[in-house]
Amino acid sequence: MTDALRLERVSFAYGDVTALAEVSFALGPGERAALLGRNGAGKSTLVRLVTGLRRPAAGSIWVEDWDTRDRPPEQLARRVGSMFQYADQQLFARTVRDDVSFGPRALGFAAPEVQQRVGRALAALGLEAHAAHHPYDLPPAFRKLAALAGALALEPRLLVLDEPTAGLDRALRARVASALLERAAAGAALLVVTHDLAFAAETLERALVLDRGRLACDEPLAGLLAAPPRLEPLGLAPPAVAALSRALGLPGAPVREADAARALARVAAGRRAPLD
Amino acid sequence: MTRLHPFTLLALAAALVALAWLLPAPWGAAGTLAVAAVLALFSGAGLTPGASPGSTGTGMSPGWRPGLVVLRTAVVTAAPFWLFLFILHDVSTTVALGLRITTMVASVVWLVAVLAPARLVEAMVAAGWRAGTAYLFAATLSAVPVLKARAQRIVEAQRCRGLSPRGGLGPRVRALRALALPLILSALHEVDERALALESRGLVPGARRTPLAPPPDRGAERAVRWALVALCVAALVWRLA
Amino acid sequence: MTRLSLEHVSFWYPATDTPALADVSLEVAGGEVVALVGAVGAGASTLLLVAADLAPRVVGGRLEGAVDFRGRGNGEGGRGIVLPTPWTQVSGMAFTVWDEVAFGPANLGWPREQITRHVDRALARLDIAALRAREPATLSGGELQRVIIAGILAMDPALVLFDEPTAELDPAGARMLWRLVRSLAAEGKAVIVATSDLDALPDVADRVVWLEQGRAKKIGPPALLAEDALCAAGLGTAVAVVWRAGGLPRPYPLTVDDAVRLWRHR
Repeated sequence: MTDALRLERVSFAYGDVTALAEVSFALGPGERAALLGRNGAGKSTLVRLVTGLRRPAAGSIWVEDWDTRDRPPEQLARRVGSMFQYADQQLFARTVRDDVSFGPRALGFAAPEVQQRVGRALAALGLEAHAAHHPYDLPPAFRKLAALAGALALEPRLLVLDEPTAGLDRALRARVASALLERAAAGAALLVVTHDLAFAAETLERALVLDRGRLACDEPLAGLLAAPPRLEPLGLAPPAVAALSRALGLPGAPVREADAARALARVAAGRRAPLD
Repeated sequence: MTRLHPFTLLALAAALVALAWLLPAPWGAAGTLAVAAVLALFSGAGLTPGASPGSTGTGMSPGWRPGLVVLRTAVVTAAPFWLFLFILHDVSTTVALGLRITTMVASVVWLVAVLAPARLVEAMVAAGWRAGTAYLFAATLSAVPVLKARAQRIVEAQRCRGLSPRGGLGPRVRALRALALPLILSALHEVDERALALESRGLVPGARRTPLAPPPDRGAERAVRWALVALCVAALVWRLA
Repeated sequence: MTRLSLEHVSFWYPATDTPALADVSLEVAGGEVVALVGAVGAGASTLLLVAADLAPRVVGGRLEGAVDFRGRGNGEGGRGIVLPTPWTQVSGMAFTVWDEVAFGPANLGWPREQITRHVDRALARLDIAALRAREPATLSGGELQRVIIAGILAMDPALVLFDEPTAELDPAGARMLWRLVRSLAAEGKAVIVATSDLDALPDVADRVVWLEQGRAKKIGPPALLAEDALCAAGLGTAVAVVWRAGGLPRPYPLTVDDAVRLWRHR
């Protein structure tokens, strides 16, 4: 099976400042990866490379069987849905619905198909009530969701997102998580830049950590989050749930809230039994 | 050139425009245009820093290239005027007006390229202007790079959602239309946010700003500015007489 | 002594009928960190704008009730607000990070040596002294957020208002920011912060204000974030939420340390 995304020794520099150095990894269809690291580690640069807005100085990036060097962003959009930093400045239509339908329309889908895709994207993020609003009349958090809906409506094979949950409350984060899980279940690969490790733990399964432009770590996310001593030097900190599991010694070291709650309930019941 | 005092740069641009209209056509305007073109060519590196984050620096290499870019921008901007003039007027009027308009365009494009708004604010504040007024003046000047950066972000977002800015005339026109309206709307919207942001940074009506690093104003430059004023006055007197 | 007091404050944005803030009363004194929590749109950002004297003065709209602030206007000894979109808050008038941070202090008309002192201190506090010569347009989102925060702190406000200050920051940056918030309070400044980083609040906030649809539903110590009602509203700390979801009895622990203590004493 072809990889949804494959990077082969990718390097990039701004002037003489190295942003990425020989980064290689591959994502299979439906795989959910978190791209982690400090501010300035090269995460946003990688997102721009994958979308074709920048070209690698060395190495190559493949989206399925397409070499991104041969494809302008508007062609890559058939396979890659993206959202960048400052998402709220990427909205350009007069209503949220128009904005979300921009992508499917630009890709040339027929009107009914556009409608359906827009409907699905808005529903996935619970944005129906805001569909007729002007994007700029919404609070920044909802603008972010609108930008994300624009990427979802492409129904791409690969979603590349830069900080999709920054500034979102718990309920909105949960919406984003379920929308992404839904896309992944449908076979889309996810590459999500995030500082929000709690969100990552709930939604993603694999950790790619950049450290000063190099891929310092590529392994299952849960395992990494359960090992605080390894997180510190990478500029990461364990989310509260992982810290709780560790402190209480919960079996299986769960990092997701639901798993931790279940483990907690089981252990509590077991402990209680002899006393009751 | 970018190290000249902002007032000197302003005076040069203003004098070129004034002389282009005052001096007899077509040679007067041809002369001012030649001067403007030479200025543009020598504008060198040091283009105004983009006022928006997200772009990754100007990264301009020193040497001729920036000058050529400035010159090209001026030519591209002036070209449509020539077309309209040619349709509306005879050849000699077209040449006379065209040279004058091109001088204006070239002078302004050059000025935008070499005059950093931040330096203008500093110079105006040092000269006793109120911070708000100086900022307004400079913001007008920096509107071009700001809009450019914003347009770039919108175009990038649109391309990543499948809109091609390339291809034949049809797609190009469509892409331009898709850009123009959101660009204007978002710029207008940003005015609200900017108002909040500037207030929060102490730019309130009547603020008396401390000049941080006022650009040095040499005596020679002041003399040049007066000479330019005198030149314009002399041209005016000569033409009226 | 710095003090902000809101008495029965309601606020309507221009051309709206539903108030964004409804009958909110709150007092914040120097030395105190007050956290605003609530769903997006619950009114936290609006409350900050009102506290900063930007709504309705700059935003427009209509205000009812009394807002009283003991201090000066904007900047020094007054109020400083860090907006949730740092990229709109840059002056656009600076070649370097140092100049960008100095933009506010210069507008206050301070003497130059005072500006230098405050700018250098703010850069050091935000851990961005190394960026001082960088061009603001080339910064990453997290770096820019630090620069803007430094730019506000360099104006030496007595009341500091933060709207989602950690949104663009990495975990180390967020930890630095929260330490900074505590140290601002220790200097006698009053701090109000709207944040969705609930797990940070037990260590940071003195009081928590739960906002819902513009109303202050509850005001109390951070322990509120372990109460059943807040957990149900999605405003509990992760530890409290897990405890509750696991069906364990109340009271829910607020932090990992609380959980360990409770666990041992079962």
